Amino acid sequence: MGKRPESGHDDDIAIVGWSISPMVRNTDKTEVQMLLEVITGAVTDAGITRREVDFTCAGSCDYVAGQAFSFVQNIDALGAWPPKRDSHVEMDGAWALYEAWIRLQLGDIDVALAMGSGRSSTADPALIYPMEMDPYYLAPLGADATSLAALQARALIDAGKVTEIQMAEIAARCRRDAKTNANAQVVGDFDPAALLAESYVRAPLRRHDLPPITDGACAVVIARAARARELCEHPVWITGFAHASEMHNPGMRDLTSSRSTVLAAKAAGVDERPVEVAEIQSAYTHEEPVLVEALGLARDVAVNPSGGPLAANPIMATGLVRVAEAARQIRDLGRRRTLAHSTSGPCLQQNLVCVLEGDIR
Amino acid sequence: MGLVCRYDPGARLEGEVPALARTVESTIRFPYKRSLGPVLGAFMTALTEKRIIGIRSGPRVIVPPLEWDPDTAAELAHDFVDVGPAGTVTSWSWVESPTSQHPLDRPFAFALVKLDGADTALVHVVDAGSIDAMATGMRVAPRWKAQRKGHITDIDAFVPGEQPTVAGGEAAVADDAAGEPVTMMEYDAAITYNTPVTPNVMRAEQATDEGRFLGLRCPVCARTYTGGKGYCPVDAVELRPEHEVDLPQVGTVTNYTIITPVQYPGQTETEPFARVHVWLDGTDVVLGYQPLLDTPNADVRIGMRVAAMWASEAEKGDIDPRGEGNLVGWMPTGEPDVTDPELVNRIC
Repeated sequence: MGKRPESGHDDDIAIVGWSISPMVRNTDKTEVQMLLEVITGAVTDAGITRREVDFTCAGSCDYVAGQAFSFVQNIDALGAWPPKRDSHVEMDGAWALYEAWIRLQLGDIDVALAMGSGRSSTADPALIYPMEMDPYYLAPLGADATSLAALQARALIDAGKVTEIQMAEIAARCRRDAKTNANAQVVGDFDPAALLAESYVRAPLRRHDLPPITDGACAVVIARAARARELCEHPVWITGFAHASEMHNPGMRDLTSSRSTVLAAKAAGVDERPVEVAEIQSAYTHEEPVLVEALGLARDVAVNPSGGPLAANPIMATGLVRVAEAARQIRDLGRRRTLAHSTSGPCLQQNLVCVLEGDIR
Repeated sequence: MGLVCRYDPGARLEGEVPALARTVESTIRFPYKRSLGPVLGAFMTALTEKRIIGIRSGPRVIVPPLEWDPDTAAELAHDFVDVGPAGTVTSWSWVESPTSQHPLDRPFAFALVKLDGADTALVHVVDAGSIDAMATGMRVAPRWKAQRKGHITDIDAFVPGEQPTVAGGEAAVADDAAGEPVTMMEYDAAITYNTPVTPNVMRAEQATDEGRFLGLRCPVCARTYTGGKGYCPVDAVELRPEHEVDLPQVGTVTNYTIITPVQYPGQTETEPFARVHVWLDGTDVVLGYQPLLDTPNADVRIGMRVAAMWASEAEKGDIDPRGEGNLVGWMPTGEPDVTDPELVNRIC
């Protein structure tokens, strides 16, 4: 499963609505309240009500929420009475969308909603994220995601694949591009040379190489072909969708490339036609060149025009926001073919690629 | 520099964050005990003997050992091989400000250490004193803990050089446990969360301080919620101050349980006691697990009429702040019981 064998099929599935919350450092809303707003926003955008959603899938994380089974409470945002078919992944909402996309292919229901949500502000990420690591060899060292990302950055620098000034330029470009994104959190004009004068957080990563701590949520509505055409004039078709994973332990794989991204991109058919925009989950600056290479993006592809995760990083929704932003490029800005990427695990362990196309048939 | 940074990106590790009205701090501990199995157990056992072992996977030696071939997922034979003790740093990151979960409390490096004889790198820490002492390609050797228990942190840290050392020197070594098969490991982390208290919850708490029950009535379905719930989960609409209603303070017991206390931190009861569900008159609100006052356990029954009892000003400080504010419990009113066989099913 990865891409549709042909176009114009009844089993085609399209994005028909979405909503992205404001991205903030520290919200006073509960996760349920954040979801309530983006779900209302997404179904309104799709021109439907909650009752017309046949299946829901959420991406969230108990360690981020600080509460066991927090996703059960999040169902309150769905209006799940009468009861709904519902599922949950302890992953980014992009994987929730993947499950919803698979579910619609069964053909018995027409509309699904995927969501992602996280309040990262409630605790120190450096203490939360070791919990996602191997519990025998990595977590007992307090191996936090940023320290491990810095190992990858150093490997890339040593291999000549990126320099610290290029990393600073990526940070500056993303936060400059984010000035047009009303939802973004960290925006502005930064001088890369001045950024390099800042001290390291986890050498060779400086503050600008890290994503901000962000509270936020996102919801996306998808529908099967016939229903999608009823609901909107310009459905955004999902023409390829795949993910792949590799070894967890960063000491056991080549950190200077991303094999799983290459596999997912191939399975999703990225290389079949040109891509105009790529919204990728490069939460650390040095991840961008790795992903651009692995996705096989041409030089003229616009990467993260929304500002990407360096401008707002709502953990557990960051990837789904990429999908919504890539869809926006087609529906609202007239692009023909875009892609979204999401990642999970330390040092780009698992990678997801979603290819979107406008209605050109 | 034309900076329009709305929030500080560096605040993830330092700096100020916007203040919220009120937060509740809670610390969650994760004290796991994990069984290790034959492969990880062998590695941890070797650590107690100041040895580092890998496992053969075809022509490769994988360190730390895995149970399965990472490429084919085939189970690996338990063909262990000693590696190191010295190795080469293939990548590193410098941690200027260690967290409470890091193994060292002073600046150190995380590093990928490719031990001599290994084909993969071990993630561990290097205690080099200064970032200037770190370099890709540098040689490091383990500094063992004097007291080892079969844990990845039995390697206190790697240090520059070729020769393994022992923290505190060889004389400090107590080898009593060395070589005893290690089958379990402990992991204990703690995360402190600061969760905001919503305005609705604060208003509900304020009401109970004043001896009132505050409800929020859904404008769509008219169901009423207590405790400052911010939304109706049935209709998925936000509940705001204009949806607030004062609830009656008299109701009927719909169900109950007699709890025989076991001792745990915070448990002050020593004798069996009742907790009752109270259905407030004229509403759809059932308050669960409420204290019942002045009633022997043998007399607790479904259908009892009860009224809320609040702490006096003088008593307020003595009430356990469990979210019910100054509610002491429920006192029988003496009215005739309500007889309805369906009452027992009203627990929410």
